[in-house]
Amino acid sequence: MPETNEFYVGYLKSPRTLTVFLGWAIPSLIVAALAIGWLVSRSQNDPGDGVWHHEANTLVGRVGATPYPLIRVPSKSPGHAAETVLLVSEGKHGGGERVAALDGRIVRVRGTILERDSCRLLELAHGDAVKPDDSLTAADTGRLAAPIIVALGEVTLRGEIIDPKCYSGAMKPGEGKTHKECATLCISGGIPPMFVTIDAAGRRSYYLLTDPDGRALTGGALHDGLLPFVADVVEIRGTLERRDDLQVLRVDLKSIRRL
Amino acid sequence: MSVGYVSVQWNRHKRIYDACVAGGIVLYLGVFFAAGKALYTGRNAISGEILAMRALATCAFLMLNVILCIGPLARLDRRFLPLLYNRRHLGVATFLVALAHAAIAIGFYHGFGNVNPFVALLTSNTNFTSLSAFPYQTLGLFALLILFLMAATSHDFWLKNLGAPAWKRLHMLVYIAYGLLVMHVALGILQTQRSPWLASLVGVGVVIVATLHLIAGQRERRHDERGSQLSPRAGEEWVDVGAVDDIADQRGSTVTVGAGERIALFRYNGCVSATTNVCAHQGGPLGEGKIIDGCITCPWHGWQYRPADGRSPPPFAEKIHTYRVRVVGRRIQVDPTPLPPGTAVEPARVEEVQSA
Repeated sequence: MPETNEFYVGYLKSPRTLTVFLGWAIPSLIVAALAIGWLVSRSQNDPGDGVWHHEANTLVGRVGATPYPLIRVPSKSPGHAAETVLLVSEGKHGGGERVAALDGRIVRVRGTILERDSCRLLELAHGDAVKPDDSLTAADTGRLAAPIIVALGEVTLRGEIIDPKCYSGAMKPGEGKTHKECATLCISGGIPPMFVTIDAAGRRSYYLLTDPDGRALTGGALHDGLLPFVADVVEIRGTLERRDDLQVLRVDLKSIRRL
Repeated sequence: MSVGYVSVQWNRHKRIYDACVAGGIVLYLGVFFAAGKALYTGRNAISGEILAMRALATCAFLMLNVILCIGPLARLDRRFLPLLYNRRHLGVATFLVALAHAAIAIGFYHGFGNVNPFVALLTSNTNFTSLSAFPYQTLGLFALLILFLMAATSHDFWLKNLGAPAWKRLHMLVYIAYGLLVMHVALGILQTQRSPWLASLVGVGVVIVATLHLIAGQRERRHDERGSQLSPRAGEEWVDVGAVDDIADQRGSTVTVGAGERIALFRYNGCVSATTNVCAHQGGPLGEGKIIDGCITCPWHGWQYRPADGRSPPPFAEKIHTYRVRVVGRRIQVDPTPLPPGTAVEPARVEEVQSA
């Protein structure tokens, strides 16, 4: 255009050479943008295989309010007497208040299941989702009398503090830096904090995090000691024990170190 | 140029421009979303909300890169001037796409909890001293506020009432918004992304934007440096700024005298006139304009001024600085003291050389 006498003014008819130029330049720009969109979309991280089964489900077992709301149901696998399912409410809320009054009772809970690997949660349905129940056999009730606890000693682990609800399928992906604030809100809202490690073969292990006395992390310990490190890659130290099928890490909050 | 304000002064070009922008946005979002849905399926499907959030985010960031390239591209190659003509609509569209991204992000990541989502946005992560854990959403929020400020003041009403220099300074905040968004991406999604493609594309975008600005800036600087050698001789008020024959008929050229502002020279109908190079509208380079219908016509948005007095033709009322000018032999001389905007100056007559 500088070599010609043609001059562009937006409200006048465009010079022909300019129209020709724009006729291929603009479509080329849009095609390049579409190629970038396709490339970026296909290069996203795999969000993991957590899944939220949206069909309603019921579980019958012994409900516990400590350290976090959970229900222990008779195990189908030979290795454990009971399987543990964490109980949460809708949104970024734990199930604490809804199970506290029935702590230790055999109940029927109603809701939807989220699961990833060995980590299972049930989001309690609206309304009266936790009710006393007497449909279990005496044998099953006996198997759920008390959790089988095995002390596994001091451990130092490297991994990520997660909110298990999102990680197990409420959000895909529900981990890492972009999910940090969401996970922080979830945990501060009562969803139990967990720790996940991934070994060299890509196998994930899950650990429920408690205070050194095995109680729920709350108050200052939670807000100052744990939440700042949620979703970061951290090293963490504590005392490990197995309760039925659940690994519980009594965490030394001062040991948490961002890597 | 307007004697009254309307929301948008539509013309054919603007309609085509906006149709391309809207079509491009819809196509981009569709391709991103469809690719995400097709490639991540079953138990490994990405949440629809997160796909939408990412499609909008990458679209807005890409648009901002394009917007920032238009200015220097148009300086380097005038064929890109049509992209500059309606750039404000592209800017407003970018803000709207970014706003949609923010709405989903705030609702999805910061909603559904026991804290107001906007409070959660500012308080749920306060690791300001850690680079890896830095609350990158805050950077995005400030960038969005800047884009909002720019979109809200993009209309000529604000340009007129704020004044071109203040309006221009306000809209230069886009570079701060861009920097904030680069950091928003670098400290956010790039911290988790395992594929190198996104980081590479962001890097390429930053390099292209920076390189184009450097090249265009260097060209401007060289022009100004040449101009700084032009200054009045002691005791004289006139400066020789070049030959008449260096300017094509009905066209302009630009000179810089001393440390003063750039002066636009125009040759038309056997005359030479001099005005400021700065258009009263958005500061467009008038010297790169053309005389159309007897008026200097800005190459950016077509604003017009009469060369002899620097006034827009009635009913418009814009005025620009003029300069005293004379022609000695075939050389143009200018008095580099700007006259008040709209001051009439007798054009210098040029004795046209008759071809045999």
